[in-house]
Amino acid sequence: MKRFLSLLLTVIMVIPMLSAVAMAEEAPMVIDFYDDAANYHGIQTGWFAKVVKDRFNIELNIIAPQVAGESIYATRAADGNLGDVLIMDKSKFVNCIEAGLVKDISDRVLEIENLKPFHQQIKAYNASLNKGEGVYYGIPAEMVNTSAVGVTGEMIYSSPQVRWDLYKAVGSPDVKDLDGLLDLLAKIHEIHPANENGDPAYPISLWPDWDNNDNMSGPANVVQLTTWYGDKFKGAAILKPDNTFVKLYDKDSGYYKITQFLNKAYQMGLVDPESFEQDWNAFVGKLQNGQVDLIWYSWQQGFWNSQDRMDNGTAFQVIPVEDAMFYADADNFFGSSRVWGIGSKVEGEKYEKILEFLNWYASPEGLTFQHCGIEGLNYIVGEDGKYIPYKDNALMDNLPVPEEYGGGGYQDGNNAINQWLCGSICLNPNTGETYDQKYWASYIAKNMTEMKKEWQARFDAQDPVDWMKKNNKIVISPNCVANLATDTNDIELLRNEINKALCKYTWQMFAAESDDDFEALWNKMVDEMDGLGYDQLFDYDCQKWQVEVDAKIAAVAQ
Amino acid sequence: MQKAERRIDYKKRRSYIEFLYILPFLVLVALFSYFPLYGWIYAFHDYRPPFPITNETFVGFKWFATIVNNPVRLKNVLRVLRNTFAMSGISLFFSWFPMVFAVFLNEIKCKPFRKFVQTVTTLPNFISWVLVFAFAFTLFGTNGAVNSVLQEIGIISKPISFLKSTDHLWFKMWLWLTWKNAGWAAIMYLAAITGIDEQMIEAAKVDGATRMQIIWNITIPSLLPTYFVIVMLNLANFLSNGMEQYYVFQNAFNQDYIEVLDLYVYNMATSGTGMYPLSTAISILKSLVSVVLLFITNTASKLIRGEGFI
Repeated sequence: MKRFLSLLLTVIMVIPMLSAVAMAEEAPMVIDFYDDAANYHGIQTGWFAKVVKDRFNIELNIIAPQVAGESIYATRAADGNLGDVLIMDKSKFVNCIEAGLVKDISDRVLEIENLKPFHQQIKAYNASLNKGEGVYYGIPAEMVNTSAVGVTGEMIYSSPQVRWDLYKAVGSPDVKDLDGLLDLLAKIHEIHPANENGDPAYPISLWPDWDNNDNMSGPANVVQLTTWYGDKFKGAAILKPDNTFVKLYDKDSGYYKITQFLNKAYQMGLVDPESFEQDWNAFVGKLQNGQVDLIWYSWQQGFWNSQDRMDNGTAFQVIPVEDAMFYADADNFFGSSRVWGIGSKVEGEKYEKILEFLNWYASPEGLTFQHCGIEGLNYIVGEDGKYIPYKDNALMDNLPVPEEYGGGGYQDGNNAINQWLCGSICLNPNTGETYDQKYWASYIAKNMTEMKKEWQARFDAQDPVDWMKKNNKIVISPNCVANLATDTNDIELLRNEINKALCKYTWQMFAAESDDDFEALWNKMVDEMDGLGYDQLFDYDCQKWQVEVDAKIAAVAQ
Repeated sequence: MQKAERRIDYKKRRSYIEFLYILPFLVLVALFSYFPLYGWIYAFHDYRPPFPITNETFVGFKWFATIVNNPVRLKNVLRVLRNTFAMSGISLFFSWFPMVFAVFLNEIKCKPFRKFVQTVTTLPNFISWVLVFAFAFTLFGTNGAVNSVLQEIGIISKPISFLKSTDHLWFKMWLWLTWKNAGWAAIMYLAAITGIDEQMIEAAKVDGATRMQIIWNITIPSLLPTYFVIVMLNLANFLSNGMEQYYVFQNAFNQDYIEVLDLYVYNMATSGTGMYPLSTAISILKSLVSVVLLFITNTASKLIRGEGFI
């Protein structure tokens, strides 16, 4: 017994020593990512973790304010160390440089091999920081190398989309204006009052979840639709296509027009009555159930348009409105609204590792993992070396990944950084095509469905963007570099209160029973906003965004 | 003489040792109740992360003044206070409900049935408000079960949007709260009931008292001290009636009536990082009001019942 005990003790004591020795050799370095884009908080797991560990022997520790709460930003900033790699909104980034939380990377950033094609963008961004000649702090996220004034793609971010079979069933009418769109929807509602299971279907269904988001005041349902008439929200001001600002409650602005449009739809019984109670998840459920007839974000198609539905012609398609003037953002030539940086506490070996990682992240191999996925799962390589889409449900159904990637579900192990250095429409030198599969020859061939041919014949254009360009119905806002001021606390308070009042009354206006009620609510809203100090906020926003407008005008001139 | 001195020594030493018994708790209280008060400093600064607070950011009582220096904002704050007082008031007015519920529950003679009722009423306490709302949405939504049934049997032709309407909103909120909490709140009273001396009840029975008489003259008076302590503590929390319930039930249509102080602070403070100072200022005011209310109720209790509770 004694001997057994002593043996046991020896074993217990030796094991940690052994493992400590083993760990000293292999322990991966943990890199903290402070990441405004991430939807996952914690250590990266699954296939992407293996890809990174095999190459660099590092682990990615994702710190996600979207999950952990915005207060993590305040506490980590107070601590003086946000993280090793910083991915954040540009306006925040400027403050973090001021507060000494960001490392000066002037010595190394231009040496990163795979970012060399993007020196123009990186230089332009850092010059805008006004930290002196040749001083570098950040790398813009999602840069592309197409053009700063053009739009790549078939569809723009927001345009009216209706189920093609329903549109045909009511006689494929021309849609002259918003009233025409309401007529179309009314006819569709008549023949499609319920889905196949008998659940009630409505042309329009709304949700409040993103109200006041993305630097735009008001219900997201309104601020997206104003872009159909070229009006783009900049904070609490509206930027017209001629680069002037107007107050959002100006009756000539898109805000009035769209709020009225949604209320007319309500009065005609075309709005889902649950719009005023439900959230985004409930809306998505209805969309997937075939209970919604009109959508307006391009990516919303992903919840309905499967290959089967494209083939049998029941998918959502853009229906052009003839008096519209669609606003579109140009390609992110200079990058998106976010920026990459390195934490000020990073030194020595860790610094080298991070630079090595960033170089790989911008490499064809890294970008292929980010944008295309895994070979043999998301795509296969054809005889000509070009990629062919393979299991397109890998993400949705969390398909198991090939053994060499360590198993597990594709979605579970997907890249949790959720932000790229280079956009998906960059060209992959290995295939000569973009990383984004929508532009692969194989994908386009597969998607040349009957429905698409009918669409092209009906509207005499290749695709929606082609229609808009041909008919001169698109304003493209050039991509540029502009360093916007950050709100002071007083402005933020003002903004929060005004946005709250704006949303409250706008939602009530959606459901106004008569035009008189609508007008009364509109006047009440204007009074309350003015009382809170809307003029002050409007002036502030005009000044704040004028910087960007000037940069855009300069970009066009170039 | 010497003996007495030694005894004092001993007593002194013992008191030191006994002090050590409570020391850990004092440390805990200091750490978790007093140290966080340091955070009040944010109410007096123009704090905005990632910048630390310094002498330059000091703004004095600016954020306290902010609450009242715009007429529209002041109107909104008053509206929010009205809602807070109304809903806390309704809760307070009906605060006897869990006690009466406990008394009647205790009178159920069939033990399995009693246990069943108790379990069923206690369970909702463990359901989060988000799920309660999901339940309310499927039941009372415009396409929900209630509307479907009413339309099927032909009582109404158009669905009623219960969740949008503001009719009797405060009372409806109290009903949800009671549905969720009554069983849980009754536990305290059930415990107090078991503490009542059986002999009193036996004696009353011998004297021929009916069940109602026993309840009225023995059970209820025995529960009153517990009831008063709970009411007083609730009164001190008059201004903080929580926000989760109102947060999930709020929409643009009922906001004017449902927005309580906690929810107001939340609605103001969640977008962006600049609202720490104002939210801190409001919470300081709330704490001060709570302390004042606590002392007032304690004094009132001393005057009325002859004993306080602190």
